[in-house]
Parts: sequence; C-alpha cells; structure tokens
Amino acid sequence: MITHHPSDELLTAFTQGELTASLSIAVAAHNELCPVCQEKVEKLNAQHAQMLFDTDNETIDDAGNDIQESELNWMSMIDDITDDDSQSVLVPIDTKSVQLSYDNVQLPRALSNVSLKKWSKLGDVSRARLELEEEPIRSSLLDISPGGVVPLHTHKGFELTLLLDGSFEDDMGSYHAGDFIWLDKSHSHSPRTTDGCLCYAVLDDAMEFKEGFSKLFNPIGSYLY
Amino acid sequence: MINSSHTVQGLDTHGNANTMKDAQNTQQLQQWLIAVANDRDKRAFAQLFSWFAPKILRYGVSHLNSSANAQELLQDTMTNVWKKAHYFNADKGAVTTWVYTIMRNASFDMLRKMQTQREEMLSDDIWPLVEAQTAQEGEYTDHLMQKEIKRYLSLLPDAQQQVIKGVYFQHLSQEELAKQLGIPVGTVKSRLRLALSKLKQKMGGKL
Repeated sequence: MITHHPSDELLTAFTQGELTASLSIAVAAHNELCPVCQEKVEKLNAQHAQMLFDTDNETIDDAGNDIQESELNWMSMIDDITDDDSQSVLVPIDTKSVQLSYDNVQLPRALSNVSLKKWSKLGDVSRARLELEEEPIRSSLLDISPGGVVPLHTHKGFELTLLLDGSFEDDMGSYHAGDFIWLDKSHSHSPRTTDGCLCYAVLDDAMEFKEGFSKLFNPIGSYLY
Repeated sequence: MINSSHTVQGLDTHGNANTMKDAQNTQQLQQWLIAVANDRDKRAFAQLFSWFAPKILRYGVSHLNSSANAQELLQDTMTNVWKKAHYFNADKGAVTTWVYTIMRNASFDMLRKMQTQREEMLSDDIWPLVEAQTAQEGEYTDHLMQKEIKRYLSLLPDAQQQVIKGVYFQHLSQEELAKQLGIPVGTVKSRLRLALSKLKQKMGGKL
C-alpha cells in the first residue's frame, strides 16, 4: 500500500512540463504504480489544456495581423504535413529489467529509454547513475542488498527517493514499492532493508550534500550520489 | 451518445466555466479530429490547424524563447496530430487535452535537446499518449510497403477495404470494428479473410 505521494504542487508542475527530466521520471514512475495520483494528473492535464486552448477568441484582435501574414506559411506547412500519408504505428514498449543483488526486477516504463551508467558497488549499496545531464541534479538507481544499511545522513538540498521494488525502513517509518519520499535538510535518516530493495533517487545539490555526507564517508563522500 | 462515468469525469474538469461556446468548440474539434483519423480529411486537418496554431505558437514563444523554435514546435505538434489522430479516444478526454499532451511532450523533448547533448526522446515514456504501447514511426520500408498496399487496397470492393483499414490502419479490434460498422463479428472476420487472400493474389506474394 502506497502511503507517500508527490505533493499537489509537484503534480501540477509535472503536468505542465516544468520539472526536470529526472523528477518527471520519478513522478511518472510513481504514477505507474499509483492510480490515485494518475487520476489527479489526468484532471490537472485537462484543466491546464482547457486553460491554454479554450481561451475564446482573444487572438483575433490581438494577433490578427500576425496571423494573416503567417497564414501563407501555414498553408505550406499544412500541405507539407498532409502530403505524407503514413500513420504512426504502435510497437510494444521495450522495458528494461535489471539484475540486482536479490532479484531480477523490471524497470518502470518511464525509464525505458534512459541510459544507465555502469553499476558500482560500495558495501551494501550498488549504484547506477542515469545519463540525463542535469548537473547539479543527479539521479541514480540504488540496489540495497538484503540486510543492507545506509549510514545515517542528512540532506543539504533535497533527496527524492522512489521505492521501485522491495521495502525498507528508516527512523521515520517503513516504505513499500511506489512510495515517493521527499526529504530535505530537516530530516536525517538511516535506511535499512531486510529483503533488499531497489530505489530511484534524485538529489539536487551534490556539492552541498557531499559536505555533510563526506564526514561519514571520507574519502569517498561523493560516491553514493 | 455514450454517457458513462468516464465521460462525466472528462466533463467535470470543465467546471462552471463550461459555456455554450466551450461545448460547441469541444464538439467541433472532436468532429474534425475524427474526420482526420477515419478519412484522412485534409480540410478538417486545416481547420484544426488554424484553431490550434496561434495557441501553440504563443506557448512555444513563452517556453522555447524564440519564434523559430515556436514554429518548429507547431510543425512537430501538428505533424503528430496528423499521424496519430487514430489513437484519439473521446472517452478518455477532450481533443484539447490530447493536443496539449502532444504539444507539451514535443516541447519537453525540444528543450532537452537544446540544453543537453542527448538525443533520446523521453517524453512519450513520461506522458504516454497510448497506454501500454509506444507510438512510433514505421520503418521507411514499411512506409513504402504501406503505400503500395494502399494502392492494391483501392482495387478491392468497399466493404472489404473498410475492414482492412479498420483493423490494420486504425488498429481497431475485430469486435470494435463490428460495433462501429453495425455488422456481426463473424462478418468482419469473413470479409477480412476474403480481403486478405485477394490482396495476396493481387500483390503476387509480396505481402
């Protein structure tokens, strides 16, 4: 049962295409597991679309001249588009699965076209970064092996954890697949898992985070994220 | 008119602002899009184009920072509307929502292309237009093949063309098609069989 969800602000930003790819993927992957948020997003989508498109005829007065000028262009664009009579066809989604320390797990659709860097392992945690090029925001898949513990840490920026598979506990509670856990500097925690789990993690400020973290992990402070 | 809980949900997002004009727009847009999907109706497409174009351009200028990019967004979005019209499902939401999804996705991919070196299109996996499957351009050879098939198809009787188009071009199930044409599923099946064997004959084993 999913008990942690993205906030309404986040869902709104998501539907308006305003989040980074890494966070958009997080919300989409959560929604694949959460019909409640999926339904909210569908409503927000419809509302935003209506707001953008159903704004009566304001353009006729405001932009009338521009539109007439560009109508010539439009005619050729329309011809151009309709000259090609092929229709799009559906192909099955090529979702990825990954071999983890405890199981083979299917990744969400939202990750199916994202490149992963090589897995590297430190203690109980294996990490594969996503190649999204959104520095300083970094996103990774984290495979925590059965019985594994991530040492106590805090966050100077934000840390978003989406639990994709398995379960873990920390000082604040226990979490299950689909839980969307947003933490910031006001939280510190030490996640531990009994049977192993797979998380998708996004952090926004690697340098700041490294400072706090490296106290525990020096000299490999920046390793985990 | 289907009036299940699905459509009610779609409508309540219009809320109190649902004026007569909005309702007329909604219906008109839907007619045009369905004409594009079913009949590849170029005039209906031109109507949709002129209705959406200024709005897409305005969105493009504010999100992509130049009118050249806005033009590209317009071309991208409307090309997808033309090629994907047959995926539109009126039970799932309004035309505006559907076009918005296409436009937002195209804009998201364009922005990423501008900001990173990466080429992959992520938007369709994040905001899928079609559940459980992904819409893709056919291979170039498929495209030629499709053109050729269409030519041979036009040699068949209308009733047989209809079932082939429904099943292979609009991706309807045989049951859906039977319902749409108001004929028994068995008839769809037999027409399809007949049509396919004729096509094979005419194309001389190319199929």
